[in-house]
Amino acid sequence: MQTHVIFTLMPDDATDEGAHLVQACLQAAHYFRHNQRVFIYTQNQADAHQIDELLWSFDPDSFIPHNLIGEGPKNGAAVEISWQKPTSRRPVLINLTSQVPDFAGQFSQIIDFVPANEALKQQARDRFRTCRQWGFQVDTQAVHAAQSTS
Amino acid sequence: MTPVEHAFSQSGLLAKAIAGYSPRQAQIDMALEVHEAINNQSSLIVEAGTGTGKTFAYLIPALLANKASDGGEGKKVIISTGTKNLQEQLFHKDLPLIRKALATNAQMALLKGRSNYLCLYRLDQYKQSRGQLDAQALSDFVNVQTWATSTISGDIGELVNVPEGSTVFPFITSTVDNCLAKDCPNIKECHLVNARQKAIDADVVVVNHHLFFADMALKDTGFGELIPKTDVVIFDEAHQIADIASEYFGEALSTRLLLDLCSDVIQIYLTTLTDVKQLGKAAEKLQRTCQEFRLLFNHDPERGNWREKLPQPQFSKAFADIKTDLDFLYQVIKLCVSRNEAIDNCFDRAVELLAKYEIMAKVDIFGISFWYETTRRHVVLHQTPLSIAEKFSENIKNSNAGWVFTSATLAVNESFDHFSEQLGIKHAAQLLLDSPFDYAKQSQLIVPRYLPQPHHNNRAQALVNIAEPLIKASAGACFMLFTSYRMMHLVAEILAQTIDNPLLVQGTMGKRKLLEEFESNTDAVLLATASFWEGVDVRGDKLTCVIIDKLPFASPDDPLLQARSEDNKRQGGDPFADIQLPQAVIALKQGVGRLIRDVKDKGVLVICDDRIVNRPYGQVFLKSLPDMRRSRNIDSAATFLASISAERSHGE
Repeated sequence: MQTHVIFTLMPDDATDEGAHLVQACLQAAHYFRHNQRVFIYTQNQADAHQIDELLWSFDPDSFIPHNLIGEGPKNGAAVEISWQKPTSRRPVLINLTSQVPDFAGQFSQIIDFVPANEALKQQARDRFRTCRQWGFQVDTQAVHAAQSTS
Repeated sequence: MTPVEHAFSQSGLLAKAIAGYSPRQAQIDMALEVHEAINNQSSLIVEAGTGTGKTFAYLIPALLANKASDGGEGKKVIISTGTKNLQEQLFHKDLPLIRKALATNAQMALLKGRSNYLCLYRLDQYKQSRGQLDAQALSDFVNVQTWATSTISGDIGELVNVPEGSTVFPFITSTVDNCLAKDCPNIKECHLVNARQKAIDADVVVVNHHLFFADMALKDTGFGELIPKTDVVIFDEAHQIADIASEYFGEALSTRLLLDLCSDVIQIYLTTLTDVKQLGKAAEKLQRTCQEFRLLFNHDPERGNWREKLPQPQFSKAFADIKTDLDFLYQVIKLCVSRNEAIDNCFDRAVELLAKYEIMAKVDIFGISFWYETTRRHVVLHQTPLSIAEKFSENIKNSNAGWVFTSATLAVNESFDHFSEQLGIKHAAQLLLDSPFDYAKQSQLIVPRYLPQPHHNNRAQALVNIAEPLIKASAGACFMLFTSYRMMHLVAEILAQTIDNPLLVQGTMGKRKLLEEFESNTDAVLLATASFWEGVDVRGDKLTCVIIDKLPFASPDDPLLQARSEDNKRQGGDPFADIQLPQAVIALKQGVGRLIRDVKDKGVLVICDDRIVNRPYGQVFLKSLPDMRRSRNIDSAATFLASISAERSHGE
């Protein structure tokens, strides 16, 4: 099975550093609604907490059951947030780190982001290349309205 | 403009009666619906969020319906509330105001439960026979006697100079069991009979749910007269009525009733029938057996399945012993029948207790739950029907009255299905009114991160770690509520060593006293079990932080819940979604309502149970709760609390 990676291109005006974090939460919501368990991989604990806080403050109509690594049910909630390696198998990885994690190949679907910030954008280009080298199927998509509401 | 609309308008009756009144659409919407229900003799379910002004929204149409009826007789109204306090507030504060505003001369009556009225017969008996009284009881008794000669209503609530929990009250009030009813020499002056008569004659009667359902289930003499004459029934705090109704449509046998009988028999033996030594002996024997029966159960109060307990040898033996001794007492009393009213009454009670005993002994009947609960001293055996929907809807159908059910907490996931199915209410109009409060600014809902699992050894310490900074930031205006006594005591032990604030722990003193201490002692922190919160009325700035250790799901060991769940499953339902979840949602909503009571109130609710974050049903909770600002960061709560405490001390 070939891993499919989608890089979401953040619009140029989304210079806010957290813009792609909100986008990550919306993506997680999308997969949750399609009954796909999601692993959100963050650079560090602080980022993980930020994602946690964002998901928890979502409107109740778009509630997303989630947990941080180190809390919650034994096999994790529908969405798990971690800055450590995954401990259970899930189909979807949302990568918020600067590199492609070495466990990326075990996921069938990977969501990554190309932020507007120039330095971050460069890192994203490197990740894009790595994914290609690892033989993943790589696509890009723009952020569009349907995604943020569906 | 209809009279109801006019009453609420900018230049209407309310505006004239209340300084600073301004019309609120939610209140007017509710009043109009109540008016419809009364006119069409239909049913209405309204959730009116805290601060909507639901009391006036039902009082005004009800009183207008009583007043205006085209020359005919006005409509008779019953208003049933959750507690005695609410009854008094309605009767002494809200009703007089509306009555004046509407310029109606409707007759009002306040009817309380039996135990609230002085029993002249028992007072007299007690005067003659009282034993050694301690100083407090003696002074209370003197006060009672002085008041008894002058009171008109006989409502012991008038006795301001006798503390609420005084030991003299059981001796100067009656119970269903020790009331001599029509045989009583004092029946003509009986305060209870007078109060009931007044209620029957009045246009507007204020009762509480217990009384209402006692009347509906004909659980007391002279009952069953109130409801048939009524045209409008209004339940405030209606979320409580399903449970209360089940209680009255079921049966209970309590060792307290047995012991009361014993002590009355002993008193008769000591005063009037001194020749029948067997009376004293038989009663004392039964007393001991009842006490031994209590000792078979765990020391801490608990609930459990009686159907499972009874077959166990030690329980079946002790239960059989009660039967033997009660039988013997019955035989002895029987020999004394017609020697005086008091012993005749005891005879009737013995007969009734034997009948109840038989009910509790036949635990294999279907469709009914058999369960027990224990208090420190007593055991109560219960037999409860699994559903009251059929009986209750039958009553509504035959009533030819308009029924209004309202509360701040009825809807679960924006639907009334749970409520109306429990009570079998069909074709009711429904209205869901949001609170006018700005919850997002006034309150926060915090679920701390990395909580240990419920049964983890570290849990008590983890709760303390969460609580400590919050207690500090709230400067003691803090409740901690637990789903188990065990956890409450564990946390209390650790907290006692780590913080300087005085700790008020449930069980160390009465509930009322505990709350008084909490209100008067600025630094005190209150630790209690979850059920403590219901009905608690603490001034806004005295309570800014509530920490609960778990989502308020009923314990899965609860025997009534188990029985209902099995029944639900048999009918193809999902007991968790249909029963447990709605119950917990309502309990949590109640709690939020106690925390934020006013536009100016602010507060933090900390739920130390991450299931609300990581389980799909978390959504049902969030959709049912007001829109509080959510966070998982304890520091955010502490900052918010500190700002509230600062505002408060600045304001003083």
